[in-house]
Amino acid sequence: MTAIGKWFGERLPLDGDKLREMTNEPVPNHLKKWWFCLGGTPAYLFLVQIATGILLAFYYEASPTTAYESVRYITDDVAFGWYLRSLHKWGATLMVATVILHQMRIYFTGAYRKPREMNWMIGMCLLVCTLVVGFTGYCLVFEQLSFWGAKVGAEITDQVPVVGGFMKEMLLGGEGYNKNTLSRFFVLHAAVLPVVMILLLIVHITLIRLQGITEMKFENEKEDAPRFFNFFPDHMATEVIMGLVLMILLSVLATVLPATMGEVANPQATPEIIKPEWFFYVTFRWLKLFSITVAVLSMGLIVFLMFVWPFIDAWVRRRWPASEFSVWLGILAVLAILGLTVWEGAVAH
Amino acid sequence: MTDETPAPETDRRSFSFASIAMAGGLAASYGTVGYIGFQFLKPQGGSKRAWMLVKPLKEFAVGSSLRFRTPAGATVNITRRADAGAVEDFKALSSVCPHLGCQVHWEQQKNRYFCPCHNGTFDADGVGTGGPPGDAGQSLGSFELRVERGLLYIEVPLETLAMCDPEGGPEGGIQEMGIQELSDDDARRGPGLDPCLDPSFDPRNGNGPGPELRRSDNGGRPA
Amino acid sequence: MSLRFKQLVIAVLGVMFLGSLVFVQYMEVLRKKHETAGRDAPVVVPDSSARCVDCHAQGNPGIVEQWEHSTHAHKGVGCVECHQANEGEADAFLHEGALIAAIVTPRDCGRCHQEVYDEFTRSHHARAGNILQSLDNFLAEVVEGKRDDTVDELEKFVFNPHGKTPGRGDFNMVNGEASAVLGCLQCHGSKVALEATNGGRLTLDDLQPDTTGKATNLAAIARIKKDENGKPKLHASTWPNTGIGRINLDGSRGSCSACHSRHDFSPRRARQPENCGKCHLGPDHPQKEIYEESKHGVAYRDLKDRMNLDGETWVLGQDYTAAPTCATCHMSGHSKNGGRITHDVGERISWTNRPPVSMPLDTDADRKVVTETDPVKRQALIADSWQDKRTRMQQVCANCHTGDYVNGFYKQYDDLVQLYNEKFAKPGQKIMAALKEQKLLTKRPFDESIEWTWFYLWHHEGRRARHGASMMAPDYTHWHGMYEVAERFYVHLIPQARELTHAARAAGNLAAGEAVDAVIDAILERPEHKGNIVEKRNH
Repeated sequence: MTAIGKWFGERLPLDGDKLREMTNEPVPNHLKKWWFCLGGTPAYLFLVQIATGILLAFYYEASPTTAYESVRYITDDVAFGWYLRSLHKWGATLMVATVILHQMRIYFTGAYRKPREMNWMIGMCLLVCTLVVGFTGYCLVFEQLSFWGAKVGAEITDQVPVVGGFMKEMLLGGEGYNKNTLSRFFVLHAAVLPVVMILLLIVHITLIRLQGITEMKFENEKEDAPRFFNFFPDHMATEVIMGLVLMILLSVLATVLPATMGEVANPQATPEIIKPEWFFYVTFRWLKLFSITVAVLSMGLIVFLMFVWPFIDAWVRRRWPASEFSVWLGILAVLAILGLTVWEGAVAH
Repeated sequence: MTDETPAPETDRRSFSFASIAMAGGLAASYGTVGYIGFQFLKPQGGSKRAWMLVKPLKEFAVGSSLRFRTPAGATVNITRRADAGAVEDFKALSSVCPHLGCQVHWEQQKNRYFCPCHNGTFDADGVGTGGPPGDAGQSLGSFELRVERGLLYIEVPLETLAMCDPEGGPEGGIQEMGIQELSDDDARRGPGLDPCLDPSFDPRNGNGPGPELRRSDNGGRPA
Repeated sequence: MSLRFKQLVIAVLGVMFLGSLVFVQYMEVLRKKHETAGRDAPVVVPDSSARCVDCHAQGNPGIVEQWEHSTHAHKGVGCVECHQANEGEADAFLHEGALIAAIVTPRDCGRCHQEVYDEFTRSHHARAGNILQSLDNFLAEVVEGKRDDTVDELEKFVFNPHGKTPGRGDFNMVNGEASAVLGCLQCHGSKVALEATNGGRLTLDDLQPDTTGKATNLAAIARIKKDENGKPKLHASTWPNTGIGRINLDGSRGSCSACHSRHDFSPRRARQPENCGKCHLGPDHPQKEIYEESKHGVAYRDLKDRMNLDGETWVLGQDYTAAPTCATCHMSGHSKNGGRITHDVGERISWTNRPPVSMPLDTDADRKVVTETDPVKRQALIADSWQDKRTRMQQVCANCHTGDYVNGFYKQYDDLVQLYNEKFAKPGQKIMAALKEQKLLTKRPFDESIEWTWFYLWHHEGRRARHGASMMAPDYTHWHGMYEVAERFYVHLIPQARELTHAARAAGNLAAGEAVDAVIDAILERPEHKGNIVEKRNH
């Protein structure tokens, strides 16, 4: 054993102790509480998505003539194809949900405040990436909603002032939906965005490691309780438990509500009822409430405000140090998002 | 176990039980996920086989031979050597030379299969007798046959191309097979059938150029 | 939460996850099973038929699509394999490089399905085309249609409409045989004919096919009318036709597609009673309705999804037991006969209930019903006795019923047939024969009321009673059957016969009237008729 260890030690300029110190970050005690572990869930689901996504890519064909049939082939013919596709679909749904929950936790505990503004913005980038990956993902199935969803998405892009038209053409690979569109979506979904997300995640986690996790005190905590516990193996075990719970949840969802196939895309006939995935219900309802330009611009503004929120928050707290403004605004935003989502989900049009 | 067993040891033992159980649970569950992934990636059509009709026995003269192209594109030489009306009368051998994949053909006069590429020869049972296959002890691959109610069937691999027909049609797609009577002329033509000399030879088809080859470009029926 | 506890939690969750994966594995097995049960077999187009499929998939997509769902398509049997014709067959023509014929006859199917072809050819089904001289055919052609036996072949069936049909100036001369063509012959089978150069018909009688199906009469061959592509034209009075006793140009009898509808040749469909119901229904042979009324039919309707209709094999007692269909009892294999299917539908039928008086189905070497009455001679003629046939059916019954039960049923059935035969059928036959003998009826059928009455009695009501009894339908046996037979006998047949004798006496033909009356009186004297009818005796 030691000989092998020596052999590697001589060739890999790594100091075991340093490595242990680097990875084995002290974890604040409050992370023993489950709701502070939400950040790990999207990360874990991201791994699930990468694994299942790579497998699905072995059979998927990104062309309008073959895409639907290849998805059908995966679903109906390939061994366990239905299961892996369902895992991928439910993994996406849960990933969006957990990213939002994670962000809400960060927001309401004020964990984005100095010195962590940058990490908040990176998190925002990750949120946007997650949503876009979700969007491009369901466009790939090439069923009716995939096609019309892509069309609506492209039209929204078109409304962006000045660069909108160009962006739309870049997205679709032409003036309208054409034979190149699907492969663009596929490359975005399976190559560009995942790589971007991996890079962002590395920065995201490195920053957490460098800045440390926000320490928090709770009222009922004993004064003499240890402030930190070990990342490894203690916190790691927590994350593994979470991963297993997620896997069981995914497995149950995949078997009870497996991913199905809608009608094949038909550019000649818009379906009577057209709905995006649930996480775009808010946007969809927003679009129906205002004229398209107003809706697109206001949405852009909202995303921008979210992006720079730590700075706005800092300014507000400087002016009115005692205000609970951010909490009330957060509650308002959550209620608004919930309301719009439920509204869109409840009505047919 | 004795009385003086110290308490910490029990603790350590249960600690190791917990970690072994953990490792076992993780390995079993994630291992199964890996197995599912492996099953998913394993080529799907390869194991699918089906029985195809060759022809009625009464239309298959003793001593005659025909070339059968399977839906997957492989060619098979089927010969009838006896008149017992049973499956033992027949022999179905792959017409692909195990040496370098050329097409062999039956030489009636010499009672052997001959591969024109490197003068490989095989006896009637497909066992290599001369040339490179003879030296290496290679034989022609054989196919299962069945006689049922006076009909000769052959079991062939299917390697389905489910996606060749996206416009619909029955599941599994449409494939083609062919039966070609081999007259003595065909057998003697020898070099003319040599795929290695023909620049348009398509190894997927294995059959040399001909109407079959053109057809195989058009696997999917136009909608 | 201590680390050790967490590890145990992980172990438990790992096992739970494993459990969910086992369930996934189970679903996968179910899916695979479903897949192999369904029709996921690939369609294999033989090279020989590739061109046919290409073109007809556009021209007549239905044909190709149906074929794609057939077992033929999955085993690599294409268009040419069935439609190919031999040089010298009268209806063969060169089509896109292949010599083919439009009509695929049992002889063609027999190339591969030799055993089935032999069984079918000796069956009663294959002889269903022999109705050309029957009473039924006379009804359809003469009484319902227009047939003139005094003119030549071309004029024989020509019907000249008396009025005009607004909007249809194209009606000139109409086929007076239409009722037979679309009625009788669609079940019984037409005598397939090619159109001759003079517009007449060329049937196998003219073409004289040899044993291989090739036409031998050169003079007739020269008269075949062909279109510009050399394709012979089939006479529209005889084709399209999938009647089960079709008389084909190559000398073979029947049509396999009568039951195994082209082009999917679905075994599933042939197993279902609806398939037989195309012909075995209606007032004179309501087997389909009788079956539906019977417990057998009721069980089938309820338990159809347990019938394993898609099964590769369909052996009663092995692949299914839920209910029998027509095919189950008359044709299919069952656990007591080693699963042997027969395409000779008469093999298990012990009474023929078709004629006015039922006969035990003793058949000779040619599978014809033995009518010989001398016991010794009769025994010598019999090749397959009614007992043999009944035993075969009873073996089918035994899959679900005990021996006593089956014997009891057959006793009930025999009794009813005998009752009908002896109380009504033979007496009716006797009265009709006496009337004919005394020349109180003309030779021509269906020109006097009593001839229709007698026809109703045996051909409709009498058959309903016997068929109803044979397949356990109480209402068909009684109300649609014996009740109507009795009513027809007492209320119509006897009074009409008496009317004829009275008329004869009134016309001075005393001897004839008395002779027939004596026959009637002797019948009504019998104990089973006594008191059933009160007649005004005025002679």
